[in-house]
Amino acid sequence: MDEQKSYYVIDPEGKLSCHKCGVPLVRSNAVFGYLDNAFPVELPVCPKCGFVYVPEDLAMGKVLSVEKVLEDK
Amino acid sequence: MDFTERSTRAYRTKQLYTKEELLARESLCVHEQPAFCAAACPLRIDGRELAREVAEGDFTAARARLERAAPFARILAALCEAPCAAKCRLNEVPGCEGVSLPALERAAMRHGCPRTGRGLLRFKKKKTAAVFGAELFTLVLAAEFAGKSYPTTFYAAEGSAAELIAACAPGLGAEDAALAAEELEALDLKLVLGCALTREFVSAEREKYDLAAVSRGCLAALDAWEPDAVTLYCEGARVLARPLDGEGALRAFYDARRAGVSADRLAQGMDPAGSRGEEGPVTSTLYTDLSAVKATKRVPENGVYPPEEAQREAQRCIQCECVECIKGCAWMQHYGKFPRILTREIYNNVGIIMGDHMMNGAINSCALCKQCAVTCPNGYDMAEICLSARRNMVATGKMSLAVHEFALYDQLFSNGEAFLARPQPGFEKCEYVFFPGCQAAACAPEAVWRTYTDLCERLPGGVGIILGCCGVMSHWAGREELFEETREQLRAALENLGGARIITACPTCTSTLAGLGECIGIWDILLDIGLPPDAPRAAGPVTLHDACGARGDAHTQSAVRALAARLGCEIAEPEYSGDRAPCCGYGGLAGYAKPEVAREMTDFALAEAEGLQLTYCMGCRDRYERAGAESAHILELVYGAPAGAPPGLSEKRRNRLELRRRFLRLAGEEEPMEKPEFALTLTDEARALMEQRMVLDTDVIAVMRAYRESGEAVLENDTGLLVTRRRIGNVTFWVKFTEDAEGYTVRRVYSHRMTIETR
Repeated sequence: MDEQKSYYVIDPEGKLSCHKCGVPLVRSNAVFGYLDNAFPVELPVCPKCGFVYVPEDLAMGKVLSVEKVLEDK
Repeated sequence: MDFTERSTRAYRTKQLYTKEELLARESLCVHEQPAFCAAACPLRIDGRELAREVAEGDFTAARARLERAAPFARILAALCEAPCAAKCRLNEVPGCEGVSLPALERAAMRHGCPRTGRGLLRFKKKKTAAVFGAELFTLVLAAEFAGKSYPTTFYAAEGSAAELIAACAPGLGAEDAALAAEELEALDLKLVLGCALTREFVSAEREKYDLAAVSRGCLAALDAWEPDAVTLYCEGARVLARPLDGEGALRAFYDARRAGVSADRLAQGMDPAGSRGEEGPVTSTLYTDLSAVKATKRVPENGVYPPEEAQREAQRCIQCECVECIKGCAWMQHYGKFPRILTREIYNNVGIIMGDHMMNGAINSCALCKQCAVTCPNGYDMAEICLSARRNMVATGKMSLAVHEFALYDQLFSNGEAFLARPQPGFEKCEYVFFPGCQAAACAPEAVWRTYTDLCERLPGGVGIILGCCGVMSHWAGREELFEETREQLRAALENLGGARIITACPTCTSTLAGLGECIGIWDILLDIGLPPDAPRAAGPVTLHDACGARGDAHTQSAVRALAARLGCEIAEPEYSGDRAPCCGYGGLAGYAKPEVAREMTDFALAEAEGLQLTYCMGCRDRYERAGAESAHILELVYGAPAGAPPGLSEKRRNRLELRRRFLRLAGEEEPMEKPEFALTLTDEARALMEQRMVLDTDVIAVMRAYRESGEAVLENDTGLLVTRRRIGNVTFWVKFTEDAEGYTVRRVYSHRMTIETR
């Protein structure tokens, strides 16, 4: 079976690191969930502690607009 | 109380209204009623539209409108008795004359271009029709038959088309008669002229056709019974004819149209009387505001109006329409719809099980101020409809959490951490309780404090204090459960204070607290005991804005005016004042659901506002000041305690907590100030973002506390900023900050409601 589709992909490109674990974040699978809907994405994640980083432009852009659409469903 | 996440996978609906309840509401809106001229016309020619087209100089459109309504529109324009003119509302204005619609029709026929092209290709019908005898009714009906694609034959005694027109429309001018004759000749029908219309001839010829119509003369020759009053059909002779009482040109046109309908039904083998629909003139229940209409006279018609004169006459038409509600409501202006349409769309919106709820925004951005119920001549109450819809959405789990959550948590804060109920020091039970309201404590704490201390000094029997929210937030959000809880909390607090009379400083609190005790406005108390000695006596010019909470409360409206007059205010009234006052945009939590609509409401309320805007609701004061207008709650004026620039979201909370501490100190109780665990600095940029994104200081502190415990953060290598987050309730807050020996400096703040997990 094909790998599950990702709605959004962000590659950390070595620009981000985990402050706690001291390792660079890597592109990894994550899921946004809202009102019982799930959206698989690929975001910068700490390979050690699993901290998922949601950048500001994603949160205030795409995420906000999808939230608004789902609120009116 | 927690507001748990709802699901888009829960498929529940609850009917908002029964069909009857829906229709009862919709029928109150008269916006779509016909204009009075159109209602009076049996042919339903819309005089209002005709006048508009002529006023715009579009004679061709006006002519086309007439030609669509009836064949031989030229004859109609020349000979119509015009019942519309008598119904024109301008006649009711003293010294004013109604618009002369027939004169406009004549001008339209003269100056408008005739229809070009042949129209749609239509196939002839199989049934055939014949018309016998010349009169206006038969002439128009023959054209109707031809227009309906029946192969038609017109038998007449006259020798030519011109003679036939002269016989049918004897009053017609020479020029019109000649044009009408041309029109007749151009019609797609067979003219058989010079016939002797004897009984034998008509009877014999009639049998060759499926449908037949006769003039009164031929009807007499046939010795037939009178036609039916509705269908115009003579059962025995099987012909259509005009009834005996059908005098006049307009009546002939109307009868011809009705006979045409009967013919269609007969041709299809149906009962001509069945399901004919509404015919003839109707009574319009349209409302037209005539208050601003200036008296004007008709432009005299000598011959047919030249174009400019026709335009001038048409421009006198006031285009009767009922826009009373929308004129005063920024919400309806934003959505550009009238109550009937809004109601139907809201009703349908509530009924949607799956899919987009397009009206959620409208439902949640109504200010629930009930202005429409006053401005509408029939009292259409959109607030009731929007509030029922909100309650319905809450009950079925369809209410968006995002729109009201902040306001609901604010109410919980007001009635939790910031709540206080204390008697006046030295009293166990009090005669009065001062209830300033949550917004007064948040925006003008000094004015609240001074009011209270003054009341304590000058009112006998003790004055208690309750700091909290009256619960209107939960009422507006449609959360009845929380509203009832709040009521119980306030009821208990009031009982503890001796069941005292409640002194309010906000009309919305007054109406919300009704039922919990006797409410008296602070204005009434101050009128009674007099102004404090330091109160100004020459406050100068102000524009007084009535609060929507005081709608229908003439007593409060006049008490505030009397108090303002004692302060020496020279009061100016906005166009919409008293019971007709609009909402400032605070009502109904509109500002939380649709900030842009709420802003339009504020701008509307402040239209042409100059100088000091005086209010008696802190919500109005806050919004007007925020919109850049200098404004003050009347208590700020009375006690010389201007609240200054409007506080931010977190400052509003701090003000309430500080005021609470001040009252506690007065009661001899000291609450230790919590020392901050760490130093936190917010940059101006971060503050602005927090205001815009509705993030509180306490949220940021909670995020930083979590960071201190877990040490979890991401380092942005290129900016050197740390980014951390914490989920609080339904929201994940993110903070971008720097850390040094002094503490933390917050640079940016953002949030999202989605959850995020690894997979």
